Amino acid sequence: MKVTWNFGSFLSARSVAGDTIIELAKKYPNVWAITADQGGALKQYKKDFPERYIDVGIAEQNLAGIAAGLALEGNIPFIFGMIPFMTMRACEQNRTAICYQDLPVRFIGTGGGLTSGAGSTHNAMEDIGIMKSLVNMTVLSIGDPNMVRDIMLLSMTYPHPLYLRLAQGKQDRMLYEPGKYEFKIGMGLTARDGKDATIFAHGEMVFEALEAADTLVKDGIKVRVIDMYSIKPVDKDLVIKAVKETGNVLVLEDHLTDCGLASVIADVFADAGVYPKKFKRLGIPQVYAGFGSGEELRKKYGYDKTAAASAVKQMLE
Amino acid sequence: MADPKEVKRLQTLAYEMRKKLITLCGHYEGIVHIGGDLSVTDLLIGLYHYGMKVDPKNIKAPTRDRFILSKGHAAVSMYIAMTLRGYFDFDEIMRTYGRLGSAFGEHPCKIQLPGVECSTGSLGQGLAIAVGLAFSARVKKETHRVFCMMGDGETCEGEVWEAANTAGSYKLGNLVGIVDRNKQLMTSFDGDYINLEPYADRWRAFNWNVIELDGHDMNSIVDAIDKIPPITNPKPTVLIAQTTKGRGVSYMEHQINWHAGSLSKEDTEKALADIEANYAKLGGGK
Ligand SMILES: Cc1ncc(C[n+]2csc(CCOP(=O)(O)OP(=O)(O)O)c2C)c(N)n1
Repeated sequence: MKVTWNFGSFLSARSVAGDTIIELAKKYPNVWAITADQGGALKQYKKDFPERYIDVGIAEQNLAGIAAGLALEGNIPFIFGMIPFMTMRACEQNRTAICYQDLPVRFIGTGGGLTSGAGSTHNAMEDIGIMKSLVNMTVLSIGDPNMVRDIMLLSMTYPHPLYLRLAQGKQDRMLYEPGKYEFKIGMGLTARDGKDATIFAHGEMVFEALEAADTLVKDGIKVRVIDMYSIKPVDKDLVIKAVKETGNVLVLEDHLTDCGLASVIADVFADAGVYPKKFKRLGIPQVYAGFGSGEELRKKYGYDKTAAASAVKQMLE
Repeated sequence: MADPKEVKRLQTLAYEMRKKLITLCGHYEGIVHIGGDLSVTDLLIGLYHYGMKVDPKNIKAPTRDRFILSKGHAAVSMYIAMTLRGYFDFDEIMRTYGRLGSAFGEHPCKIQLPGVECSTGSLGQGLAIAVGLAFSARVKKETHRVFCMMGDGETCEGEVWEAANTAGSYKLGNLVGIVDRNKQLMTSFDGDYINLEPYADRWRAFNWNVIELDGHDMNSIVDAIDKIPPITNPKPTVLIAQTTKGRGVSYMEHQINWHAGSLSKEDTEKALADIEANYAKLGGGK
C-alpha cells in the first residue's frame, strides 16, 4: 500500500546533527547554526535559539561569508546544508574567507555521494577532493550517528575549519556501540580485524565493506575493515600497518575514485615507499552518474558490497 | 484583451496537467516537487501552449524560442507541459520517472532528454545561461526570445542579480524572465527570515521592464504574454507572477510540508476531486 509522505516527514525525522547542535548551543553561547534554506535538521533548534539562527535564503556564498564574519568575532558557526551547494557554490568563499583566515567554521553537509537520488546536480562526488585541497580544512566522513555526535562535541575545542560529510544525515544506521570507541580527528578505526586484505571505507560505505567482509568469511577470507572517517588529516600509521600486514588493499567509497580517500591512501604508501601487493579502488568513475537511488547506482557503477567482495577475491587469486 | 476561446483552451490544458501531476505523484514512491509544480502549472501552459514559438517535431529549429527552467526541481511540470504539446509520452514518464536509466529525472537533464534546452537543478544558474543565449541570438541576428523561469526563493542567489545586471546593462530585449512568486522557499515563508519585498522594484532597479500578473488566471497570463515588447526593446522583461505553492489542491496550498512528497491512493483521490471542482468553477472549459 502506497502511503502519503511529504517534506514534513523529512523535517520531523530525528537527525543527530540537529539534536547535537541544540546540546552545544545550550552549553556554549558562541555556537550558531546557519543555513541557506537547507536547515531540515534545525526545526527544533530554530525555535530554541532564534537569535543564534540565520537563514539567508538560497544564498550559499553569502552564508559562507557570514560564517567567516561570525567566526572572526569568536563564534563557532555550524553551516547546515546540502553538500554540492555548500562545497561548490561557495568554494572560493570557503577557501579565502574561511580557510585562508583559518577560522573555526563547521560544515555539516548531507547527501554524500550518490545518496540524494536527485541526479547529478545534487550528487556529491567531488566534495572530498575539493574540500581536502583547501589548506587548513579538516575533512571527515561519517556514517554512524553516535560518531557524528562525538565529533561535533569534540569540535568545540578544535581551532580550524572542519567539514563533516554525512549521507542522509537522518536515521542513519548505527555501527558502533555507544561509548565503546574513541573517535579522534586524524585517527581511523579498525571496525573488523583480518589478515588477508584490507578494505578502507568511509561514511555509509563502511556498512557495505563490513557486509562484503561477512560474505568473504564463508570463503575462508579474513578481511580487515578500516573506517577511515578522518580523511584529512589521515591516520598514516594505520595505513602503513594495513599495507604491511595484509598486503592487499581495497578502497571503497561513494566518491570519485580519483580524488577521494583512495588517492589519500595511495599518497600515504607511495610517500612512505611501502607498497601493497595489490591495490584497487572502487567508487564513482569519471561520469555524471544520473538518476536512480544510491543503492542502484552503487550497483551500476560497481562499488557495492558484491563488487567489493569479488574485488577482494580477485586480489587474492 | 485575451481571446476567451483561447483562454478556455489553455484552462483545459492546465486542468489536464494538474491531473497528470497528481497521478504521477500518486504513482511514484519517491520525490515529486509537487508544491512548486502546481505553482508553475498555469504559467508553463501559457508559455508552451501560447507564448513560446516551439515545435515538438523540430526541437533543434534555430528559430525556436528557448526555455530554461531555472527552478529545475519543477522538472515534472515542464515534462508534462511539454507532453501535452506533443514532445513526450506520458506513459513513459509514469513508468520511468526518477528511476535508474530514465530520461525523466527529478531534475531536467538536457543530455538524457532531448527537447530540454538546459540541465538545471542547482538553483540560481539559469538566468546567466539565458543571458548567454540572448547575447548569441542578438549577434547572430536571430529573432527568437529566451525565456527563463525562476523560483522567487531562488532569486536570493547572488548570481541571479549578477545576470540581471548584465542583461539590464546590455539591454537584452530578447530576454524574458518569469518569476514564480509563491512567497515560499523550501523551509520557510517569505518574511519569516528573508524578505523579498519590494520585489518588482528590485528588477526595475536593474533596468528591467516589469509586468506583474496573476499566475493562476489564464486571462492575466495571456495578457502578460501579449504585453511582452518586441525584442528590439532596450530592456529585458520580467513577468512577476503571483502564485500559490500547491495551487489547486486544498491540503497542499501554503504548506511548507508540501514542498515535495508522494501520495497515497486516498490522498490522490482527494486531490483529483479538488482539481475537478476547480475546473467546474471555471465552467469546465465551456
Ligand atoms: C543552489 C541550490 N541550493 C539549494 C537547493 C535546494 N533546494 C531545492 S528547491 C529549494 C527551494 C526553492 O524555492 P523557490 O525557488 O522559491 O521555489 P519553489 O518555492 O517554487 O519550489 C531549495 C532550497 C538547490 N536545489 N540549489
